[in-house]
Amino acid sequence: MLKPKMPVRLNAAEETLIAQLTGAGDSAQAERLSVTGLPTRRVESYHYTDLKMLLKSVPPLVGAANTASAPALRLAGAYRLLIANGEPQASATAPAGVIVGSSDGAALSVHDDVLVRLNTAFAKKSLSLTLEGTVDPIIQIDRRTEGTAAHSASSARIFVADDSSATILETYSGSDEAHLTNNASYIAVGRNAQVTHITVDLSSDGVTHFATNEYVLAEGAKLRTLAIHAGSALARTQIFAKFAGEGAHADIAGLNLVDDGQHLDFTLDVNHAVPNTTSQEVFKQVGRGRSKAVFQGKIVVARDAQKTDAKMMMQGLMLSDQAEILSKPELEIYADDVVCGHGSTCGELDADSMFYLMSRGISRAEAETMLVRGFLKEVLDPIEDAELNEALTAVVDDWLVGGK
Amino acid sequence: MTNPILEIRNLHARIEDREILKGVNLAIPAGELHAVMGRNGSGKSTLSYVLAGKEDYEITEGEVLLDGVDLLGMEPNERAAAGLFLAFQYPIEIPGVATMTFLKAAMNAQRKSRGEGEISTPDFMRAVKEAGASLNIDASMLKRPLNVGFSGGEKKRAEVLQMALLAPKMCILDETDSGLDIDALQVVSKGVNALRSEQRSMLVITHYQRLLNHIVPDVVHVFSDGRIVESGDKSLALQLEAKGYADFDSEPA
Ligand SMILES: Nc1ncnc2c1ncn2[C@@H]1O[C@H](COP(=O)(O)OP(=O)(O)OP(=O)(O)O)[C@@H](O)[C@H]1O
Ligand SMILES: [Mg+2]
Repeated sequence: MLKPKMPVRLNAAEETLIAQLTGAGDSAQAERLSVTGLPTRRVESYHYTDLKMLLKSVPPLVGAANTASAPALRLAGAYRLLIANGEPQASATAPAGVIVGSSDGAALSVHDDVLVRLNTAFAKKSLSLTLEGTVDPIIQIDRRTEGTAAHSASSARIFVADDSSATILETYSGSDEAHLTNNASYIAVGRNAQVTHITVDLSSDGVTHFATNEYVLAEGAKLRTLAIHAGSALARTQIFAKFAGEGAHADIAGLNLVDDGQHLDFTLDVNHAVPNTTSQEVFKQVGRGRSKAVFQGKIVVARDAQKTDAKMMMQGLMLSDQAEILSKPELEIYADDVVCGHGSTCGELDADSMFYLMSRGISRAEAETMLVRGFLKEVLDPIEDAELNEALTAVVDDWLVGGK
Repeated sequence: MTNPILEIRNLHARIEDREILKGVNLAIPAGELHAVMGRNGSGKSTLSYVLAGKEDYEITEGEVLLDGVDLLGMEPNERAAAGLFLAFQYPIEIPGVATMTFLKAAMNAQRKSRGEGEISTPDFMRAVKEAGASLNIDASMLKRPLNVGFSGGEKKRAEVLQMALLAPKMCILDETDSGLDIDALQVVSKGVNALRSEQRSMLVITHYQRLLNHIVPDVVHVFSDGRIVESGDKSLALQLEAKGYADFDSEPA
């Protein structure tokens, strides 16, 4: 006999989200959420990030931004576009090869994922960007949530034309309130185009930050991504990359800097859908205090995707006994002529190295900083633009010296 | 009478449950260079690590004074700031740290402890270049990560380079001669001798009398089973070379 399925008991966060969905006119999603609830650890892709447990409450939906915080990261040469409280703001005259606009609705494709569904329901407008030719300045999308604690969704849709090249930096920050932000970026990389896409979460202490970065790579495209978590209380960045054209390559990297009280999650889904594509995934996690760092990485190789070459690596570094570093790499391979692999390592700072550095007069804190920097070099070194590299290094250094 | 630079009194140290140092007594007056010789495993490196402040050891008895100041309560970096330097028997390779970054950090840490500002890049480059040249250190070596891929002899020369740059008042050299070719031994010895001065003392751990032809010691100590069992002038090293350690074993082997 089948057991009748019990309706889920809804918590305060779920109740609020359902009311907000209903208010936004999306009764279908409201209905769906009231049946399923937020994902628990029993949902595979949320195994280490039980949203039902972690998301205690949801602040009211955001209004227009009336105040402005400072940009979290300033790059002198960058062309900066602001999205405040989900709304793309007017921008300065665009440099050559950059077309800026905005469009109604969200940007992500359909995914069976609650954060994607919520973004799609709440993001009313997307910043749209078309990049053509060799785009010289770094494009910075500065996303901020201003004012009192709010639930905000933002979205950007970026097309990089065939044979073009561009570097895009996205930063997330805002007022010092317990916001819930749900951000989306859809990036289509054209044929033989080369794109570097970097996201840095610098939200303040109490924030819940969600981001979904979706990539679609055409033939011969080259993508380099780096996602950095250096803020928020709870954060999850989902990276969905799809190889749609042969000969494409992606370097996908992440840096999880997790401090006392934080729970920060990278969830990766790389889909090699066509033959002859390559990818390399490198994720580094550093944990301090009582904290939780999560990496889930899945590489899917479709039946036709022969000659796929994919290597995924997670390396964790625990700076305290109470830092938890979790890793779940998965390979789902349906083709037979492929080279795929994954590895996971976790450790503490090497005691002999610490002693050696300290024996030369270097303080414990500085020695630690030097070794952690060394550990992170592999993900920062490939960022070629000197100013950008310096800015990202500064983010890491700030985190290191800002120890609690 | 002035204090010895280094004074070790009845030092006992253990690792896990094993006592390695069993009552070391040693005083090195300012300006003197003492050599320590002894069998493999007798505890010479342990002594050097305990002096430099490696965490693994438990000090069960005794004290160590550097220029009259108690050393054992200090962190390794504080000991360095107080003027102690250990040239490691096995220098550590650190892949993520550039050699030049490390040298500069060490020099700046020392300057900071003296209340001085950071060294300027040109001054730093000049200091490294000069010290490097006198030790025949290839500039390309310094562009690599710290000690990574250095040959055995290169590592030892890099240790002496650090010593020259930091100009400590108490230098401990743990088998700095091992792994050096004949020419390198001359070069390194010259470098060490250049650092000898009235204000500075040195403790040189070695297995080979040959080194002591180049670096002539004021006193030679024989180390056996965790303590110094005999001390004499440089002729003691010659005697050891000829007859081995059998005469000095605390218990007959
Ligand atoms: N971590 C450790 N755990 C247990 N025993 C140790 C440890 N480190 C050193 N020892 C032991 O302590 C003793 C002294 O070692 P030490 O390295 O001080 O000898 P040494 O005199 O420097 O020898 P060598 O001439 O070969 O360099 C050895 O028997 C060694 O095995
Ligand atoms: Mg030894």
